[in-house]
Amino acid sequence: MAVPSLSKAERAYIQASLQASPPLRADGRSLLDFRTVLLETGVAPLANGSAKLNIGKAPQEGGGGTEVIAATKLEVEDVETGDGVDGGRLVCTVTCSPSAYPHLSTNALDELQYDLTILLHQTLSHPTLHPNNLGILPHKKSWLLSLDLVILADAGNVVDALFMAARAALWDTKVPRTRPLQYQSRKAGDALKNADAMEVEGLPEITSAFDTRDMARAAADFELPDYWDEGEVLEGRDRWPVCVTLNLLPPSHFLDATLLEEASTPIRLLLAYSFPHKSQPNLQAMRFIGSGEVVLTQLKALNADGEKYARSLFDSLETKLRDEDIRRNVKARDKFAVR
Amino acid sequence: MVDITIRKRPRTEAVLTQRKFFKKTARGKVIKVLRERYLRDDVGCGIDGCSVCHDLRDFSLPSSGSSAHAQYPNGHFVLPDTNVFLAQMDLMESDLFNPPIILLQTVMEEVRHRSLPLYNRLKALIRAEDKRIWVFYNEYRSETAVIREEGESPNDRNDRGIRMATAWYKTHISLARPPVRGQPSRPSPTVVLLSDDVANRQKAEKEGLVSISVRKYVEALQDTSKLLDLLSAPGSDEVEPTRVASARQALYPDYLPMSTLGAGVKSGQLHQGHFNANQYNYLEGNVPVAAFDKPILLIGRENMNRAVQGDVVAVEVFSESEWKAPADEVVEQETTLRNDDADESEEENDDEEAIAERKVLQAERARREASVRQPTGRVVGIIKRNWRSYVCHIDSTSLTSSNTTSLSQQTVFATPVSRLLPRIRLRTRQAPALLGQKILVTIDRWDSTSRYPEGHFVRALGKVESKEAEQESLLLEFDIPYRPFGKAILDCLPPEGDHWVVPPKTADNPVWRDREDLRDLIICSIDPPGCQDIDDALHARTLPNGNIEAGVHIADVSHFVHPDNPMDSEAAARGTTVYLVDKRIDMLPALLGTNLCSLRPHVERLAFSVIWELTPEADIVNVRFTKSVIASKSAFTYEEAQIRKDDPKLDDDLTKSIRLLNSLAQKLKANRMAAGALNLASPEVKIQLDSSESSDPIDVEQKELRETNSLVEEFMLLANISVARKIEEAFPQTAVLRRHLPPPRSNFEKLQDILQKRKGLTLDVSSSRALADSLDKCLDPNEPAFNTLVRIMATRCMLSAEYFCSGSVARDTFGHYGLASSIYTHFTSPIRRYADVLVHRQLSAAIGYSSLHATLHSKSHVERVLDVVNRRHRMAQMAGRASVEFYVGLALKSRGKGKATTEEAFVIRTFRNGLAVYVSKLGIEGLVTFKRETQFDPDAYTMTVPAASPEAVGTTIAVFDKVTVEIEVEKDKNTQRGRVKMTLRSPVDSSTL
Repeated sequence: MAVPSLSKAERAYIQASLQASPPLRADGRSLLDFRTVLLETGVAPLANGSAKLNIGKAPQEGGGGTEVIAATKLEVEDVETGDGVDGGRLVCTVTCSPSAYPHLSTNALDELQYDLTILLHQTLSHPTLHPNNLGILPHKKSWLLSLDLVILADAGNVVDALFMAARAALWDTKVPRTRPLQYQSRKAGDALKNADAMEVEGLPEITSAFDTRDMARAAADFELPDYWDEGEVLEGRDRWPVCVTLNLLPPSHFLDATLLEEASTPIRLLLAYSFPHKSQPNLQAMRFIGSGEVVLTQLKALNADGEKYARSLFDSLETKLRDEDIRRNVKARDKFAVR
Repeated sequence: MVDITIRKRPRTEAVLTQRKFFKKTARGKVIKVLRERYLRDDVGCGIDGCSVCHDLRDFSLPSSGSSAHAQYPNGHFVLPDTNVFLAQMDLMESDLFNPPIILLQTVMEEVRHRSLPLYNRLKALIRAEDKRIWVFYNEYRSETAVIREEGESPNDRNDRGIRMATAWYKTHISLARPPVRGQPSRPSPTVVLLSDDVANRQKAEKEGLVSISVRKYVEALQDTSKLLDLLSAPGSDEVEPTRVASARQALYPDYLPMSTLGAGVKSGQLHQGHFNANQYNYLEGNVPVAAFDKPILLIGRENMNRAVQGDVVAVEVFSESEWKAPADEVVEQETTLRNDDADESEEENDDEEAIAERKVLQAERARREASVRQPTGRVVGIIKRNWRSYVCHIDSTSLTSSNTTSLSQQTVFATPVSRLLPRIRLRTRQAPALLGQKILVTIDRWDSTSRYPEGHFVRALGKVESKEAEQESLLLEFDIPYRPFGKAILDCLPPEGDHWVVPPKTADNPVWRDREDLRDLIICSIDPPGCQDIDDALHARTLPNGNIEAGVHIADVSHFVHPDNPMDSEAAARGTTVYLVDKRIDMLPALLGTNLCSLRPHVERLAFSVIWELTPEADIVNVRFTKSVIASKSAFTYEEAQIRKDDPKLDDDLTKSIRLLNSLAQKLKANRMAAGALNLASPEVKIQLDSSESSDPIDVEQKELRETNSLVEEFMLLANISVARKIEEAFPQTAVLRRHLPPPRSNFEKLQDILQKRKGLTLDVSSSRALADSLDKCLDPNEPAFNTLVRIMATRCMLSAEYFCSGSVARDTFGHYGLASSIYTHFTSPIRRYADVLVHRQLSAAIGYSSLHATLHSKSHVERVLDVVNRRHRMAQMAGRASVEFYVGLALKSRGKGKATTEEAFVIRTFRNGLAVYVSKLGIEGLVTFKRETQFDPDAYTMTVPAASPEAVGTTIAVFDKVTVEIEVEKDKNTQRGRVKMTLRSPVDSSTL
């Protein structure tokens, strides 16, 4: 990613210390340690879901670290006119703030944005992850869920940060409740219960011209039953994947690389795992970045390791997200009550 | 200096400080809206002399509340819940109801959310001077703000907020009155939560708050009986413990929910339109919709489903096999349902009235094959109620006879004056006093279990047949604003008032800027006798080149009425001056209408002139428009002008000019007729009044038309057309024009059929030209009035002309069908028509005299104004006609001295059990009904009255037959409603039939 100029000597030095026994890292972490991850949800009040994530912020040193903001916005799309897709769709966009990559030219920045957008979009909009409450009216209206991510600062390991922020924002997303409106003609019987004379005369029973089931079922529009309510969470929000980047420096690998460490790593393996509730973990995406080579036989072991790391990352993220929900609702309300 | 505290709080408090909600836009998008809320501690309680919020001034509530209520001897404040304003606005607005009211912000917002008209009334109420209302912004006071709990409905949240505010007031009042040592502690006033929501009251009582229902509250006030009448009828969902909830059978199907209706209309399964009741048959109505050529027919109570004239309804159309033809029978509510009891009519479902109604409907079905069918359907929901206050009479038979003098509450029927409305049931204690009066009644609701709508009494207008009551009821019925002009409006008049004159002509006088001095021209005006608002004057003279210069000079109203000031807004809202027989309701204040803008003779007046150069054959060589100053030389009546023109002895300039104008007018008319203009007729009669003071009618006569009438008319048409061309060219998007759409051919089908079958005449309606020609051929040698009759009937088949904004409709629909002109507008009567004022402004901008006000560049604004003007115009015409009708009735009475008058009449429509006739001499239409069975042939438009003896041949009466009727004005015994009753004298006497 962002590759600051690094001399061969520096690179060799970093590689050597990572491969030393015990391995040494500049900030004193062990190979599999993450830096501190800070997460806050609900940062953008006008979005339907949002999160701000920081990896490696050093409060004593006045900031720093990789910083990502993610926000989702729901829009109504018309399926009939061809804008929308029946059942809704998800579109991811990654924007890199130029201040995060001051050394990149505009074109290079665009390319980087594009690469990251493709990675996120392909992974997250995969049908296995699609939440089933993005439809409004079958064959008529659906939600477009736009997920926008902005990289504000890059201090290494930006892909993991993006995936975590995306997961947090999607977790936080609430879909406004809608109620389909339809016109259903009632049966002639209850409409004309006073019209006894007609039946007596032996005329055929009067039915409405519109009493064909299929037509009546077709809802034409929808309404918002409770406009104060934020809505319900996305279906299957525990499925959203987390990504771990394995920085491969044979024979070992390490996690959460800083910028310098990234620059010294010949090849990196991205693994995005989803941990659906009560079922087997799924590998949702796998990418290699870098010019190095990996032997196929290693891959299985790497995958197994990756799954282990992803699981622990997933668990701590889950705990944090649930904490955030409570902080923002129950605790805030309690505070209001005792004020 | 006031301390400014910045109350910015961290985002972690967002749940308190931000109110988020979603909104669905008209285009179907969902938007999230965020409102920041700042809570403060200094929102004042509004109670005068409050020691806690002492630093705030002008608190309007009295310090000890009101002690007018027996239950609260220590004084009290009323804190109404939202439902009070939603259901009992008439009570809150009453002058007699004036306790100190604490109005919560929560309540206001809820009212606004539920009903915008009620919210506007509420806002007016807050501003009213005789009310003591304090708006307490409880959502912004930190102690009383509430946030929504998990799973709490918005309604519950608001109720909780209202209770919280009530509790706060309770503690606040006690805090504000700390006990003073040595003095007996004064009891503090009570804050009473006024609510009709039982659940909310129960919760409030649990929390130790005082609450009461509206009815119970009002019962303990003075003037109870008057106030109780204002209470809207209790809803069926009310669970008042004293009321026995009886399970009633629903008479009408329930309405579909609003959202479903919207979906149905959108998908085209339902049709939306205005409900029109049938004035001959109260069991029938129709709804014109875009999807069908003919309006959708609604037959029977269930299918009309509680729709009231003017409501916007959603209609479901039956399949084509069930389509029916409209009834050909006169069914009157009074006769069919005369035995209905106001108190209990809904309980007896199979009573004789219901059976009678069913009979009527069945009779209809029996011959439904007979004539043309039209789409038939039923009302499934109401999109918008258009209920207003209706002028009614109390039906005396609905009073319980034993207590005609008592003041106990009773349920009575009020019969609206308009035949299009159902009877209204209302509860009142003043019933005996209201007998024989015209009263104003508002409909509150119409439940599915009740045959009649329920309403309440608003106010009495006065004795039936007293001029004042009849006049006011007429104005109310047609929704005509008739209040005197307010101060803000009168302030827009020139400060000189009556003494305003055209200033002397100097180079730098702004009034004279770009104005032509036409004071020397020989200009005169020709108007009906007694006309005070003269808005047009004419002149003509021969030019040296042999051509003729003719000018039309219109009062320059736009010089006095400037855009967007109070006078302009009022004029736009009134739309037109309304002429009743004995009263004129002005659009502009009288100073302008009858003085400053009236082109009186021998005074200098500002004018807007259209001056043509015409060839002697009346072809336009050139036209120009200019602002001018004129001095009319004479004001003629039509008659005077005619006499002057015809007097061979006179040969002065004025007379010559009239003759010149007349000769041009004749050529103009000939040209117009050749182009296919229609010569239409409408019944126009003149009421002769005894004297201007007493306004007692003496007699009715038909209006006379003279050559000079047509003279003025031709030049006005010419001016209007010339101006229309000019402004359309200058402002193609926003020009104010007038059009008359060609009538759909189907409108004439019936008339063509009748003419063909009865008289063997054909009516060619392919173009206005063809129609004009074939109307000329509709002659009956024995009956000169026949042609006029056909013209009247043809006129009724046509659409009405309307104002429109040129950018809003397609260019090829600009035409005026009746005048056979491709473009038309109204320019010549700015004193009495608002559209003309707009046209004046546009023309003035088009000739570069002034710049066009921004509002006249906005298509949507022009459309909005013209919508109002169109509606007002229609209403004014109907009011004028109704006024004439009333006076015809009075005249008949005075003419006959109590006895009936006999007149000749034409049959214009036949029914199964009656005839509709037109009395051309009086210009009125009436109904002759037969009680006995008759033979009716709807296809031949005849009915046969069987003779008394079985051998004799019955008498057949057909449409267009001339009959003799006896006309008398009879007062309906029950409702005191005066109505014209006609009985047939020849060919048969119907009094016994």
